[in-house]
Amino acid sequence: MIEDPYNAVVRDNFAHPGHAGDVPGGAVGYFEDQGMRIRLSAGVAGGVLQRLRFRAWGCPHVLAACEEFCRQYEGRPATDLEEFETARIMEDLAVPVEKTGRILVLEDTVRSLGQAILDLTDTPQE
Amino acid sequence: MTAAALIYLDYAATTPLDPRVAERMREVQSSAYFNPASNHVAGRQSARIVAEAAADLGALLNVEPASIIWTSGATESNNLAILGAAKQRAHRGRHLVTMRTEHKAVVDVFRALEKAGFDVTWLTPGPDGQLNLETFEAALRDDTQLVSIMQINNETGIVQDIEAIGRICRSRKILFHVDAAQAVGKVPVDVSALQVDLMSMTAHKFYGPKGIGALYVARGTALEPQMFGGGQQMRLRPGTLPVDLIAGLGAAAAVAVHRIDDDLENLVMLKERLWSGIRSIEGVSLNGSVRGTYPGILNVSIADIEGESLLLALEPLCVATGSACNSQSQEPSYVLRALGRSDQEAQSAIRFSLGRQSSKEDIDFAISAYRSAVRKLRSLAPGVAA
Repeated sequence: MIEDPYNAVVRDNFAHPGHAGDVPGGAVGYFEDQGMRIRLSAGVAGGVLQRLRFRAWGCPHVLAACEEFCRQYEGRPATDLEEFETARIMEDLAVPVEKTGRILVLEDTVRSLGQAILDLTDTPQE
Repeated sequence: MTAAALIYLDYAATTPLDPRVAERMREVQSSAYFNPASNHVAGRQSARIVAEAAADLGALLNVEPASIIWTSGATESNNLAILGAAKQRAHRGRHLVTMRTEHKAVVDVFRALEKAGFDVTWLTPGPDGQLNLETFEAALRDDTQLVSIMQINNETGIVQDIEAIGRICRSRKILFHVDAAQAVGKVPVDVSALQVDLMSMTAHKFYGPKGIGALYVARGTALEPQMFGGGQQMRLRPGTLPVDLIAGLGAAAAVAVHRIDDDLENLVMLKERLWSGIRSIEGVSLNGSVRGTYPGILNVSIADIEGESLLLALEPLCVATGSACNSQSQEPSYVLRALGRSDQEAQSAIRFSLGRQSSKEDIDFAISAYRSAVRKLRSLAPGVAA
């Protein structure tokens, strides 16, 4: 293998998953497929994603994608989740095309999280 | 990342050049670059170097130097042995026997022979990786012409009973080929006592250079050549001999003769230290066993850990998932699947392979890195308490 299979973003996110964990009492989205398992939890106040946390079982690209999602969406309106697509994260992380299906598990988890937020009003904060 | 920053525990993939080997190769490159097939005084000088290397390898294996055919490595040796023997004896029968846990360089050759109309029996080992001898004997037929079984498995270190298999083959007049790429130069191999007809090996697995290997061919064993173009090596493997690489292999063999016992003693100690350091981690299981396998390889699986993430989390530790030849694939190891391991167990497997330069400090680093990586990945996983 000549090229490093992981770019700098993947390596940084994998080494420093600052958003790993849970938001106690928050909205929760969960999805599993292709052997990957992802759980997202969010604390929402005033329609804003105040805190985003993830737990995941998967390859480095999946873990890094989860961290990247949390970094990019924390502080944004919860309604932005409806427009989430994996394309940008795939590009930022230089995910190999054969792993597209794994990253789509994140997309499904985000959908699940969006639905969970709709099911709640404002969720408690830590 | 520089080599100095790495902790290298992937000696089953390849080994560094022994300094004495490198020195010998430099000597030959500068002073004896001649074609050993040339019929002049300089050519004869190179031919003598080739003969000396054959004598050194012959001493390591306890065989006549004339029984050694130089190749580019174990893959070519396996191809020449298996294809050459199967085709040479095809008029007597077309049944061949091997194991599912062989290296790709054997598996793919047998698959090619299957496509060419040969009938191959693929034996499955027991959960311990060992070939059951009764199962083996039952697989042999009147038209069986060739058996190929590796001595030491490159992923698990499991050692097959080559002596017993050779005895059975000899009694049935069946040719016996052994892929000994992980054995030669690392454990004592007395070919004359093993009743082996063909044995493959490669220099870079025992501190020699890459690009040179050998095939032992027992006297009277006929092979059909697989390459054409010259009269070298009794027309069995034509091509100008790479004298410097051959000298390097010979030097590596000469070093091994004196180092094998000490190397093994050190490896046994290091392997037990490594296993003692990680065996208490919840969900860890051994693929093979600590004893009864080659002490340079420890292969472990772990429950609920993703293998690719484990490998990255272990950096700068250089270890392998599956065999190095398979490392670009994320498919679970077919060797471990053949031992009955689940996809997840096989996918999470890490092969630690130790060598002459491995130290206690390397092992302690590996233990610490493995424990830390498992703790981290489990803390990230959903459904597991952080």
